[in-house]
Amino acid sequence: MASVGGGATGGGRNLNFKVVLLGEGCVGKTSLVLRYVENKFNDKHITTLQASFLNKKLNIGGKRVNLAIWDTAGQERFHALGPIYYRDSNGAILVYDITDEDSFQKVKNWVKELRRMLGQDVCLCIAGNKTDLEKNRNVTVEEAESYAASVGAKHFHTSAKMGRGIEELFLDLSKNMIEKSEESVSKGRPGSTNRKSQVLVVDDSTELPAPKSGCCG
Amino acid sequence: MIKMLATNGQNKKKTFHLDETDLLCKNGCGFYGNPAWQGFCSKCYREVYQTARQAQMQHDAAKEASQTPGVIKKVTGLADVKASFSRFEEKKTQQVNKRSNTFKSFLRKTPNKENQPLVKEPRRISAESQKIGGEFAEFLKSMKRKPAAVEISKLVRGFIERIQHNQELAIDDLSEMVQDFYTSLSEKLNCLPVFKGFNPDVIDKVMDYTERYILTRLYPSIFCHPSTNDEERDLGIQNRIRSLHWITAAQLDTLINENDPAIRHELDSAITDIIELDSKRATQDKLQCVVSCSKHIFEVLRQSKQGPASADEFLPALIYIVLKANPPLLQSNIQYITRFANPTRLMSGEEGYYFTNLCCAVSFVEGINAESLNISQTDFDRYMSGEAVPPGSGNEQLCKGLQLMYENLRELAELRQRQEKVMAEALQLQADMNEFKEDFIKQVDRTKENNPWMVRPRKVKVDPDAELSGNNSNLPSPLTPLRVHLDGSVVQQECNQGGPDGEVEEMAVDVSILVDGVNVVNNSVLDSKSDIDDMLLGDGRFLEVGAPVPGEDSAGAGGMWEPNQGTLSGSMEMEQGSG
Repeated sequence: MASVGGGATGGGRNLNFKVVLLGEGCVGKTSLVLRYVENKFNDKHITTLQASFLNKKLNIGGKRVNLAIWDTAGQERFHALGPIYYRDSNGAILVYDITDEDSFQKVKNWVKELRRMLGQDVCLCIAGNKTDLEKNRNVTVEEAESYAASVGAKHFHTSAKMGRGIEELFLDLSKNMIEKSEESVSKGRPGSTNRKSQVLVVDDSTELPAPKSGCCG
Repeated sequence: MIKMLATNGQNKKKTFHLDETDLLCKNGCGFYGNPAWQGFCSKCYREVYQTARQAQMQHDAAKEASQTPGVIKKVTGLADVKASFSRFEEKKTQQVNKRSNTFKSFLRKTPNKENQPLVKEPRRISAESQKIGGEFAEFLKSMKRKPAAVEISKLVRGFIERIQHNQELAIDDLSEMVQDFYTSLSEKLNCLPVFKGFNPDVIDKVMDYTERYILTRLYPSIFCHPSTNDEERDLGIQNRIRSLHWITAAQLDTLINENDPAIRHELDSAITDIIELDSKRATQDKLQCVVSCSKHIFEVLRQSKQGPASADEFLPALIYIVLKANPPLLQSNIQYITRFANPTRLMSGEEGYYFTNLCCAVSFVEGINAESLNISQTDFDRYMSGEAVPPGSGNEQLCKGLQLMYENLRELAELRQRQEKVMAEALQLQADMNEFKEDFIKQVDRTKENNPWMVRPRKVKVDPDAELSGNNSNLPSPLTPLRVHLDGSVVQQECNQGGPDGEVEEMAVDVSILVDGVNVVNNSVLDSKSDIDDMLLGDGRFLEVGAPVPGEDSAGAGGMWEPNQGTLSGSMEMEQGSG
């Protein structure tokens, strides 16, 4: 909702972005985001009680950006709930485990679904996590990177354990989202999301011929 | 939005100049119109709206009639569902009544209102609305910018009236009106010159208060709107949850250990919060309930597992809570929040996240099946029909009271066991004590036999005078000093003083004076023990002799102590006996 809520005024206000984390269970979504927000891994001193909803404030090129990072339940049984989670999100991080071929297939499914539901408005990043287990790699670098390029997503090699590649991932995603929101603003605000754009269209058509209720506004 | 702007234009015109044509009925019948009747006169308003209302009421009645058999069919068999069904019916009739009431009140109040175009709406304002109205007014005052406050209050009031006059619109249209109002208000706050200089925080606050105020005021007319099927969905999800009562925490793969009292407490708090959802009016407060519920769930998860909980653990726990709580009017509340909450709040903030999770949980519950629980279809069917109970659900289907009773019984049994143990141990202690006592006495006796011992009399100070004080008369009178001159003559002779019985006192003091070789012997009887030597003085001039200590012969020392000895040995025996 960045372009509707706060993004419209440009520099004056914060840009709020919603980022969803998608991926199979146990690929390290939670560790990834905890490493990013708290810079900790498997640590007793992690101060947050929960790692399912986290905020991160950034300053990119003078723009204040607020990332709301939404973790999603990765279990197969909750797959059908995906659309409720990623509705109106500005960005999605698709995480897979490089030692687990299946989790990469899952990412492909997610990408298809996201593109179908949200179109090109959403910025996608694919993260091959657990690069510290390089020797057990089951998803080749070439395959992953070529796939990412083919669907217009950025690919990153990350390791939540070693803290590698995570800053880059979020920074790049944020920059992408800023670009997207500026684009949509300059294009005369076609509405960043499906829901809002529908509402706007209906508004104009229903409100024009409605003079009967106009006397006491 | 266009409409809003147009309305504003009209308003402005009115404040400067009120044309008579503006006051006339829009129907052009020549009578004066009234904003409360959408600008019609009373007659035209009735014509236009009453017909619409009647049509709506007929439609409603038809709808209700067609729904009723279906609902009853669904309901049969479950006694308490019937209660909720009657509630449902009650509500329907209430709504119908309300509608006709407001209509009547419109008619009743018309004559007074004709002269004052902008009066308060006829409906009584609820306590909640009054409270939030007061807060809102307070806040507007605190902004210290009168024109801006007046403008905001005008916009908000106008909007509320507009909605109240359009209650019969479909819920989607109402939702759009509200959402548009948010957007247009936000735009105005950012652009209009009246609001220039407001910093973003103040704007956020204005938006927040506006939302709170509008929704609290409009709550009765827009929550669970008659044009929606929310009530049916409420009933649907309620029945669904009821038939899923057998689901255990383990089946949802949650780590919740319900037997731990601390966790149980947190779970209860979470359930209370989610049920509370229905009692709030403003979306903010409703969302706050969801957030608070979620916080309790995270607390539960924190106690059950190490490290922060992720969505993988949170969502199943939330589903479990929803299943256990079976919150009232769940769908209505969710729909209400989705339709009328400010989208910025719903889409990015923490509240939005938890609310989304709640939506997910409800959606999951609606679609729950054998596959999503990892059990076989036949098992699932049997559980659903109540034929079988999954292992481990145990007390789950007992009602709260029974559960409590069983818990109490268990506790009582435990208490009884402990009581018995205490009794047994007390008896044992008593026996031990007795044994110890006997043993001790025996030992002491044996030791006494082995080592006979005498208690020697203690030396006690004796006052000899006390002994004799009774018969002082037998004693000789104290001696007076003799004066002896140097020439050898005795100045005064002491006579022998005998006792009354004439017996010569043996203890009489003898004085012998030896002066210059002349042995002067007193004429008194010399005692064998008296030492004349003692009286020998070097100078021999003057000599005094005190009375010697009496009683050396009168009583034997040993005899005097005998009674004492007896008492001492007696006390010794007593001590032994008590030991």
